[in-house]
Amino acid sequence: MAGVAGGGGGGGGNDFQWCFSQVKGAIDEDVAEADIISTVEFNYSGDLLATGDKGGRVVIFQREQENKSRPHSRGEYNVYSTFQSHEPEFDYLKSLEIEEKINKIRWLPQQNAAHFLLSTNDKTIKLWKISERDKRAEGYNLKDEDGRLRDPFRITSLRVPILKPMDLMVEASPRRIFANAHTYHINSISVNSDHETYLSADDLRINLWHLEITDRSFNIVDIKPANMEELTEVITAAEFHPHHCNVFVYSSSKGTIRLCDMRSSALCDRHSKFFEEPEDPSSRSFFSEIISSISDVKFSHSGRYMMTRDYLSVKVWDLNMENRPVETYQVHEYLRSKLCSLYENDCIFDKFECCWNGSDR
Amino acid sequence: MEAQKEAQRIMTLSVWKMYNSRLQRGGLRLHRSLQLSLVMRSAREVYLSAKLEEDEEGRLGPQPGLGEEGAGQTPLPPAACPGPLAPEERAAPADRGNAPAAGDPEPMETQDSGGDLPPATPAPGAGRRPARGGSLPPPGKGSRKRRSSSLDKPGAAEAGLVPTKKARLEAEEEEGERQPQGQDGPFPSLAKVLQTRFSGMLRGGPAKGPEPTPGCRPGDGVLSILVRAVVAF
Repeated sequence: MAGVAGGGGGGGGNDFQWCFSQVKGAIDEDVAEADIISTVEFNYSGDLLATGDKGGRVVIFQREQENKSRPHSRGEYNVYSTFQSHEPEFDYLKSLEIEEKINKIRWLPQQNAAHFLLSTNDKTIKLWKISERDKRAEGYNLKDEDGRLRDPFRITSLRVPILKPMDLMVEASPRRIFANAHTYHINSISVNSDHETYLSADDLRINLWHLEITDRSFNIVDIKPANMEELTEVITAAEFHPHHCNVFVYSSSKGTIRLCDMRSSALCDRHSKFFEEPEDPSSRSFFSEIISSISDVKFSHSGRYMMTRDYLSVKVWDLNMENRPVETYQVHEYLRSKLCSLYENDCIFDKFECCWNGSDR
Repeated sequence: MEAQKEAQRIMTLSVWKMYNSRLQRGGLRLHRSLQLSLVMRSAREVYLSAKLEEDEEGRLGPQPGLGEEGAGQTPLPPAACPGPLAPEERAAPADRGNAPAAGDPEPMETQDSGGDLPPATPAPGAGRRPARGGSLPPPGKGSRKRRSSSLDKPGAAEAGLVPTKKARLEAEEEEGERQPQGQDGPFPSLAKVLQTRFSGMLRGGPAKGPEPTPGCRPGDGVLSILVRAVVAF
């Protein structure tokens, strides 16, 4: 089930009223496990919305051109393309099944008529090319219209094939497969502003890839302790800075964010900046550590701020101030008293995402 | 008492979740395992301190033979006096019945707890019982009622147990030796199962499949905490 929320500016002043403008998918309770959507991502222009599900499929919606007779309504999103991105795999060495669930999708900036996106499951990242085809050639010399080869001896004249329009067909083809670089489960991917590289992060390591090279990657962060018994935190999300191609951040399960500069050293285990808000001792509970884990981190478009999401709140950080966020928003503070029940039904482990609107407001 | 019960409940729940997380598709999730172990540890600390208070109230006099704990631990009277409290604290389900066998001197436990718990957790599995999924008790069962000394693991562990654990990693046989007064009953086996399953993690590899034998799972570091916590049961 997917909900596409459209913002409706209502009321006076700064009050926003949010309402669903479109809901895609099944509304009833009986949803197949494989159809559960696991990730969503708009492309840069907002015309395309990609969704990944637990069954390894990617469905892309496209916004229709705005209707001239109803200029104020946002265009509707309709299915543009569907393809199977990942299949379940089996790691024989470890006797482990690798889930096909799509963990993240990231679009590449558009450089020509085709669209490119990266999609990843727990272990493998794939680069997909989505292209449109609305013409086809007719009038081949050696083939009949239905594809059968013609007998060369029967050809008495030559003709030039001509392009004829056809029903729009959207094709998705895998262009690169980046595999075997992660021991743990991949949780993030982020395309760099140089449009040539991207990073992928799992629980303990972050790797840097070049989009053209699939057989190797560079490890740029490794927080795996020599003795795994000493493990205290894992990486939960990572993102490149929107303008500085040498800067990226990664968040941890302890509620901290580290900013790293790839110019300082090849292995960025030592952070350049460390963002952490001191814990409020009065709110300690059994579950303090779980709810302080950051589930998502996103830079603002300006690159000056970043937003983090932990279980109960959203925080906005100024990159120049490491000791506390500049803004904190309690998203569902009323859940704080229900943490125990949430722990019982596993909801406390849910991971939320956050994102900025187009103008960083 | 309430806090203690709550902590106990949460600990059981956590162990159950940990066990179940092994069975899910895609293998053990490192982050999830870490979070579960953190909750377990918090719950255990609360449980311990609650028990400590209660024992101090209930106690008439200091028991001998205490204080074998590892460095830095508050001497655990409870460790030595399962006696008075034991009956009421033993939850009905008998699993822990064996703990009382700990009637076998506290001192001994305390002592062993140094060596025994962490190894116990790992240990139980090692020599005596082949880790078996089936032997795991249903969640919610059970007296987590165990010598509190064992709960002292964190410190004691660092002090005396780490080497032990490493040894265990290298050579499973050693566990057998260190085998304490056979903890029998479901919880020890739970501990054992989790231990052997996770022993691979400590070797640093990711997970194997659902067999009872050592699997390498990404949830490593948590193992130690988890192990200790579990042993506490």
